[in-house]
Amino acid sequence: MIKLERTKIDRLSNIKRHLEAISEAVKQAICPDRITVEYPRERKKYPEQFRGYILFNKDLCISCYRCAHICPANAIKFEFYEKSYPSIDYSKCIFCHFCVESCPTGALRSTKIQDVAFNSIEDMDLKTTQIIKFPEIIRDEEKFTVEYAIENRNLRVLREKKLDDLEIKFLPPKVKKRKMECTDPESCIGCRMCVSICPNNALKVEKIEIKADNSVQTGFTIKLNPDLCTGCGLCVRQCPMRILTLVEVGE
Amino acid sequence: MLEEILEIFRSNMMDIPILKPIILKLEGVPVLNLIVSLIFWRPFFAVIIIPGLISLVLYLLYIVWFERKLTARVQWRVGPLEVSRPIRGAIQALADGLRYFFQEAIVHVDAHRPYFIQLPILAFIPVLLPILFIPAGAVVGIRTPYSVQLIVAFIALIPLTIIAIGWASNSRFAYIGSVREAFMYFGYEIPLIISVMAMILVYGTGDAYAIVKKQSILGIFLNPIAFLVYIVSMLMATSRLPFEIPEADQEIAFGPFVEYSGILFGLVMVIAYEKLYLMALLFVILFLGGWSGPVIPTLGDLLPPIWLFVKTVVVISILVIVRSIYARYRLDQALRIGWTSLLGASVLSLILGIIVGVWLG
Amino acid sequence: MDEYRVDVPVKPPQEFRSYFIPVPPEFVEDVYRSDDYLVLVGPQHPGSGHMRLIVRVKGDIIQEVLPDPGYVHRGVEKIAENRLYIQNIPLVERPSIMDAANFNLGYVRAIEDALDIEVPERAKYLRTILAELCRIGTHLYDAAILAVFMGHTTGFMYPFGIREIVCECLVRMTGARFTSSFIIPGGVRRDVDEKTLRYVYYATLAIANRLKSFERIFINNPTVIARLKDVGVLTRSEAIKFGLVGPFLRASGVEYDVRSVEPYEVYDELTWDIPVSDDGDGYARFLVRVNEINQSLSIIRQCITRIPDGRVISEQIIENGKEIRGNFFDVYSDLVLPPGEYTTVTEAARGLVLFSLISDGESNVPYRLRVVTPGWLYLRGFMESLKGERLADLQAIYGSFGYFPPEADR
Repeated sequence: MIKLERTKIDRLSNIKRHLEAISEAVKQAICPDRITVEYPRERKKYPEQFRGYILFNKDLCISCYRCAHICPANAIKFEFYEKSYPSIDYSKCIFCHFCVESCPTGALRSTKIQDVAFNSIEDMDLKTTQIIKFPEIIRDEEKFTVEYAIENRNLRVLREKKLDDLEIKFLPPKVKKRKMECTDPESCIGCRMCVSICPNNALKVEKIEIKADNSVQTGFTIKLNPDLCTGCGLCVRQCPMRILTLVEVGE
Repeated sequence: MLEEILEIFRSNMMDIPILKPIILKLEGVPVLNLIVSLIFWRPFFAVIIIPGLISLVLYLLYIVWFERKLTARVQWRVGPLEVSRPIRGAIQALADGLRYFFQEAIVHVDAHRPYFIQLPILAFIPVLLPILFIPAGAVVGIRTPYSVQLIVAFIALIPLTIIAIGWASNSRFAYIGSVREAFMYFGYEIPLIISVMAMILVYGTGDAYAIVKKQSILGIFLNPIAFLVYIVSMLMATSRLPFEIPEADQEIAFGPFVEYSGILFGLVMVIAYEKLYLMALLFVILFLGGWSGPVIPTLGDLLPPIWLFVKTVVVISILVIVRSIYARYRLDQALRIGWTSLLGASVLSLILGIIVGVWLG
Repeated sequence: MDEYRVDVPVKPPQEFRSYFIPVPPEFVEDVYRSDDYLVLVGPQHPGSGHMRLIVRVKGDIIQEVLPDPGYVHRGVEKIAENRLYIQNIPLVERPSIMDAANFNLGYVRAIEDALDIEVPERAKYLRTILAELCRIGTHLYDAAILAVFMGHTTGFMYPFGIREIVCECLVRMTGARFTSSFIIPGGVRRDVDEKTLRYVYYATLAIANRLKSFERIFINNPTVIARLKDVGVLTRSEAIKFGLVGPFLRASGVEYDVRSVEPYEVYDELTWDIPVSDDGDGYARFLVRVNEINQSLSIIRQCITRIPDGRVISEQIIENGKEIRGNFFDVYSDLVLPPGEYTTVTEAARGLVLFSLISDGESNVPYRLRVVTPGWLYLRGFMESLKGERLADLQAIYGSFGYFPPEADR
């Protein structure tokens, strides 16, 4: 425990404090410790894990709906093109990047763009076609890139006369390939919800006959086409009997 | 009749050797010679050009920008920059003034309407009147041997207008601000008058010409205690930090000026700066040797006003740094300072003034 | 001086009958009959934060202050009942913006308490570094607000400039400047490499250096000392009676800090001190927080020199060889807590914050989330300390308490 002592307020220490304050102000007026970044003529350099504007790669998306499910602000909606793809509403997005971390294939990725500005609120509801390509940033006046560096126990502003590259190098996430597997085929009730939800039409449910104790019952069996299954997990979430799961395949 | 007017002007013209050929040539032209001799008539030059209205406006444009830039430099910032980038934003005050012209001046329902609108303009009267008496070399409006006393008397009238402005607003916070302004007025007025009296005793007269002539040693060194008392009174009188009590922005939402908007707001905001200009002019005359300085013969009569103006602007430019150093005192603490330490120091300066005055003359 | 009461029928002015004033009309008439004056320091005022204060003044002395909190109430606890457990993490760190890591930590510790998750050592050190960085940021922000309430604009700009260094450290560690949502059940979201930790280490030295300028121009300024000394004094017994928390309790002489009474993360393995003062006035409350900044800087330096290698996310959440990136949804989206009530207390920058999760055992959203923030806990002591002070001291005491309405109103 540190006990703080009472500050003395006699005349001499007051005069000393006055002089210290005035000398500090005069010193700053003569050579200031400025750390201003004169945006837009200078731009601050951000690290590689910066959470900026989100870009989308259509070829990697498996339409698993994980990003829309996890978004805390409900900012992701899915639009239907030849398959369904996400679109982001930037008037709701809080840049938490839960969606980027949920995507198993890395279709959503971050950039270093921090100046996300639009002309009106209706413009902020972006469509999928708009988040596929890199947005248009006007960088006519920008000349310097600024970095906050710590040297000799003091913060210094380093200016370099070049433009910062705003794209981040893409690293795919370490997720193994997965395929669907039915853990309890006898409980299948044949509702075929998995068949209708599968975006790649990889499932088929067929009636079979089960012979047990001198009676013939109707049962169902589920057949998977493993080349078409992308491991999106939509059927797992839809099955009302909860008998489907994802298992990892491959090495 | 025109000839009589021209004779009045020509009898008291300014004597500037470098412009003499142009003035002589323009005297021949019928209407233009009237205008030229009016401009260079000494009283007109003193009241309107330097140290009068035009230099007041130029000073206002400069000081608003300079104060913001200097404060920003101390605070690790840049300050106003964008209005015209090549000159680093120097015409920011002009842009602000233009904006106030286009803004709607709202007069709320509860206000006393005639006083509310007219008082900011009437507040200019005690501010502009003393300029008649401030001399600058041979250039003066009305020459009188009591110039210093008259200036102090007019400066004492300015707080009345501020209290009246707060009363006319008829609002809760304006009332508190007016009461605080009245209290602060009692706090600084007496030490200010006593320190000016001390300087008058040092020089033996209240005539500005005699004061400047007697300052072979500058007034600061003749009576340093009066110098300190005058500076602290200047901070108190113009509502500058650390004594920005009537216009406390955070506590009572700008005090007497809370209900003003538009061009009326622009007018009331400059009252404090004009009062600072007046008190700084008096400060330069009493303590810094007035208009004396190195002589350039070609400029003749134009030089003393320029020296006076330059010294005033330098003094104010150094004084505005106080805004970035101190916080705001409470009302009773400021009154305690005014009535104990400041009053005691001013009485000491009076005694010192008597001693130095006897030694000097 | 004697006061005589004259019973004349008095009518309060018209403005009190036409505006919405959240006090009963009998109170207003009583005020006017006893010759007091009502000042409304409203939610839209240059010096009141976002809270309405109804101040009853006699001359220049405050008789009593009625607070009217709730201007920024956003219904955090109700919204939390409709979101998944993992989606509540950005929600609970929004009330107190600069202090996000401490609130985040409290909520996540409640979930870990329910599910019995063991956090690896490296993750605990990283969480402590984040919490202490946010504590420094909040104390600097509160110092800046105190300065601007007293008219000292330089004292406002300097802490925000120093806070830029803190935000730069947070960006390099997590990717976002303050509300980073970096702490998740089981650890942290991603690992921090050696270069960034070196940067944070040297940044603490840079912060200490710039704090010296701040000290000379603001903390030792005679006008500031004159404004804050012996103003809003709360004695030790009064502080305990009115339920103060955090550094304001420590400034009145009580040595209580949740980090030493019920240690969490790695606070019991590090050496640090608790600053305590006996005065209980505004200046003591301010000085206690300045000393806590120095203690936090030393804690960060110790964490960086001692941090072990290893995993950053628990093995009960995700197995070896994998990281959270790509598996976030599969691991966290259907968390179901066992039935019961789970409570944690955490030392946020302004005091003690309490999180309580009630779960019914089968849904993947909380049944009830209860957040008690420090602002709400010391509001009563704040109002009591204003009695008997002058009207101009209202802003000084407000700044010395560091009351933050979005945190108190949730």
